[in-house]
Amino acid sequence: MFTWQHADDDTLLDHHTDFRLGLSESHFPDDPARIWWSVLIEIADVSIDQFEAALAEFADDLLIPVAYDPDDRREVKELQPVTIFARKPLIEVLNDGRNVFGVVSVHLGAVIPEALLDRFATPPALSPIRVDDNAVVMAVIDDGIAIGHDLFRDGPTESRIEHASIFEAAPHSGSSHASLGRSYSRHEIDALLRRCHHNGFLDEDRFYAETGQADFLAGTASPVSRRVSHGTHVMGLAAGRKAHHADAPRPIICAILPSRVVQDTTGVDLLPLLYLAFVILAKQAGRFRTRTKGPAPVVFNFSYGNTGGPHDGTGVFASLFRHVVGAGSEFAARGQKAWLTLPAGNSNLSQLHASGPGPGKQTNVDLIAQPDDRTPSHMQIWLPVSEEREQPDFARIGITAPGGERKTISTRPGQRASLFNSRGQEVARLAYQYVGGFVQRGRVGLTIGPTAGLDEKAVLAPAGAWQLEIERSAGAPAGDIDLWVRRDETLPGSLPGGRQAYFDAADYVRFDEFGVPLAVDPTGSDCPITRSGTLNGFACGADPVVVAGYSAREAGVAGYSGAGPTSDRGGSPGREGPDLAAKSDESYLMRGVISAGSRSGSWARLSGTSVAAPRVARAAAKGIQGKADTARDWSRMAVGESPFPLNADPRRAGAGGLRVEIRFDDAQK
Amino acid sequence: MTIVPQSAYSAYSAYSAYSAYSAYSAYSAYSAYGAPGAGENPMLADAFMTTRDGIVGARLDQIGSVRESVANDPRTLKRLSPAVRAAIFQAELAASIDVSIETCDGDVSPVLWHRSAKKGDMRRIKYHELLRMTRPSVERLTRQLDLVSGYAQIRPDRAAEILTQVTAPAPFFSTIGFIDPGRTPHTLEFLSTALSFSAPLIQRIKFALAVKRPIEFSPQIQPMIPTPTHGSLPSGHASEAFLMARLIWRLMLHSNAPQYGDKAYWGEMLMRLAARVAANRVVSGVHFPVDSAAGAVLGCTLAEHVYSQCNGGRWWSSRFDGTHFDPEGDFDWHDIFDVRKDELKKKAESGDGVWMRAKAHAPSKGEPAPVLSWLWEKALEEWQDLGPGDLPVQGE
Repeated sequence: MFTWQHADDDTLLDHHTDFRLGLSESHFPDDPARIWWSVLIEIADVSIDQFEAALAEFADDLLIPVAYDPDDRREVKELQPVTIFARKPLIEVLNDGRNVFGVVSVHLGAVIPEALLDRFATPPALSPIRVDDNAVVMAVIDDGIAIGHDLFRDGPTESRIEHASIFEAAPHSGSSHASLGRSYSRHEIDALLRRCHHNGFLDEDRFYAETGQADFLAGTASPVSRRVSHGTHVMGLAAGRKAHHADAPRPIICAILPSRVVQDTTGVDLLPLLYLAFVILAKQAGRFRTRTKGPAPVVFNFSYGNTGGPHDGTGVFASLFRHVVGAGSEFAARGQKAWLTLPAGNSNLSQLHASGPGPGKQTNVDLIAQPDDRTPSHMQIWLPVSEEREQPDFARIGITAPGGERKTISTRPGQRASLFNSRGQEVARLAYQYVGGFVQRGRVGLTIGPTAGLDEKAVLAPAGAWQLEIERSAGAPAGDIDLWVRRDETLPGSLPGGRQAYFDAADYVRFDEFGVPLAVDPTGSDCPITRSGTLNGFACGADPVVVAGYSAREAGVAGYSGAGPTSDRGGSPGREGPDLAAKSDESYLMRGVISAGSRSGSWARLSGTSVAAPRVARAAAKGIQGKADTARDWSRMAVGESPFPLNADPRRAGAGGLRVEIRFDDAQK
Repeated sequence: MTIVPQSAYSAYSAYSAYSAYSAYSAYSAYSAYGAPGAGENPMLADAFMTTRDGIVGARLDQIGSVRESVANDPRTLKRLSPAVRAAIFQAELAASIDVSIETCDGDVSPVLWHRSAKKGDMRRIKYHELLRMTRPSVERLTRQLDLVSGYAQIRPDRAAEILTQVTAPAPFFSTIGFIDPGRTPHTLEFLSTALSFSAPLIQRIKFALAVKRPIEFSPQIQPMIPTPTHGSLPSGHASEAFLMARLIWRLMLHSNAPQYGDKAYWGEMLMRLAARVAANRVVSGVHFPVDSAAGAVLGCTLAEHVYSQCNGGRWWSSRFDGTHFDPEGDFDWHDIFDVRKDELKKKAESGDGVWMRAKAHAPSKGEPAPVLSWLWEKALEEWQDLGPGDLPVQGE
């Protein structure tokens, strides 16, 4: 028996954070107040030092990473995102819109085991690294990167990795320069390689046990112990090569995200650590100086997707890269060129996007919450751009739970409804909130609790169809309304056991007359669920090169490859779609492309736009030293110079296919 | 005596490296007749009888002289069926070792004894300790359980290896050494001999130590293969895999083939494979890492023993003390063996003390067993490389 209750609540900065913190009461066996979380906050008009000083009474519940050096901590900005580690009592205070600490937004990240945090870490020394004039730094953020792999070495015990941050590893005892996990310099990696090298072979079991990447005792995931690991494969494509390669130097810096975060692909969970990774690598990148040409250029690759966010280039991730690299950033101050490649995402066929009603219309669509889903499901309705002081009532949002319990809220500040079980525990929440900053949109979020749990205390929501009814208010301003479901699927057998919620509607056509999945929306369809607009939520910004995937044999865009366009912003169109496409499959039958397996000398096949992006990053490393000012300008030129013929809509493949031949083994003559 | 390797689930034939390649049937003269066993084909027997009746004729008045056969001569081994030879080899090897179950610090401690004759008199035996093993406490095993749980996450990745290694890890070694029934039948026979020799010893030690399996500690281990009914420590798979790795490497080293010569990467790779086989048993959920460590010590020690029984020379003894193995530690074979020196390390220790000691001993008096030497030489011949200079030159 479930009951909706209405609440007028305009004090929370983020309902999703509040809901998840509420779930922690019943989902974590330990005292929820003792659990550490990564949190991405935005602070306005205060410095990090001031923020920390004001929170002296919460000193035990707050850890500010040493990645922020004294200069960062002193700086007062109009708005700056900061990754912190915090515990529930503090997060609840920060998530209150009335807080006096300068916090204007809160994104709750992942649970962080306390054993991985180091309060006594000190900022790393950032000594300069001299490189040849033709060197380009390759910066990779991913999970499960086998840093000892021979494709990242110049010799048996000579790594090309100048810096590696490993977030999911117990901190070094003694002097540590990482607040989370540990970091390695090239010298440290080389020393470890020497220690683990026997009779011509690297003992990789030992090596990864030493780096903390394989820790079976701790029970954490050890992706590099598997034959195939995402980050190894991706970094192999971006920067992998055998020793004595003929190409120009490609020093590597990388940050290795915890795989448990990756397994919890709600996207929100990822943001704080992703942000921290960018901060760390941005500082490391600053160390590289060419002999005569100033700072060495950097190509970042981040092969992750996310289906949430406003999809108009103003989301936290989109603004992240601009914050790190754009005007006023460290890169700009140094005059260092930095490009970013991102995947278009793999959700084209996943039914995770729906279009809301136009003026005077109504949209009905079901959100299917699957049974045996052990993680919360989250759906967002993004409303047209509006100023905070206006916030017009764009629509009425009706929801009917699987048991028939119905509720409607309007899109006005404070509107919120919660579904309670018979014990008075909240199992779902529908709430409006305004997202300020660069975004300037209202958003209605529907968070549905897990539908299954092994703990007897678990608070469970009903699985099944949650019927959404969006009725556009008469006379409301124009602009698109879009709905996205966040990804939260996990691989079978992996923690934490999420199953993907998705949209469903009677008129959604999945297959053509031959039973082939339709990769583009049928002409003339009125179905609210669309393949258009499925572009990776991280990849809607103006700066990065966004890469679709193609299947080489059929010369077609891969069915899963996400499509544009991005949402408009008050009439100004966003991206049409990805910038270009690169190979992500050999053929429809032989999925994936070959790159590094987890162990030296081994090869593996992986598919998806995740493997298309680093292919382009590899080519961009040559392009970044050319004439093109921006990465996207270069990408168009590159397609012209080395095209792969594709007959594809620009919304799915941008300027077209780019042929990138990778020679891992090209010994110097 | 029938010797059944310890980890056989189904049958001797399924397990044995030798018969895994159907080498036995390829050898057996009887199999040429399609006989199911030792020639008990009734139709064939009937035909033999009627044939004899038809052609036998009257008894000969006189038959020619028959020479006395050579007694106890290894040269005749080649005329015996492999199964008969196997029994003879086991008789030699079994006589070289003894087992006692003793008490050490209040706990059970099985000991293997190296038997040798005093001054060549086989009726006067002297014993030297060859191996002593002590089990870890239940409390230490409980701490090892976290490692077993952690390893479970890579089961999907290792499933093919684990399932194919349940009965016969031996074929994996033929992916490194060029071992094939057609090319190296005696190498297979030699390895089978060593495995068959080791199997009852492994089982006797396991029985004495009676170490519980992970499945008895937690309902969450849920091994992906059936847990064998025998004790956990030492790991039989580890013992056998390291035994094979060591003996194959010895054959390579003694072959004088330049590719094997002083190239320690062959030995290293064989040991990596053995360690992988051992680790797979932990991944599958039927062993603790400490079982692998004990098995590796046992396997390496028995390899030295088999080698010295075939060739004479020094032999090795070792001790494994499970009470000093790091309860939170994983097994790294580099802790116990030095490939470049081709010998066991003198000791291995954790923060809790020394958990392995090994010692080389002067050669025993007396010749190595001639039949075992014959087997070794036959196997070794199969590894010798033929170069142009090895060919006979006309006129010489």
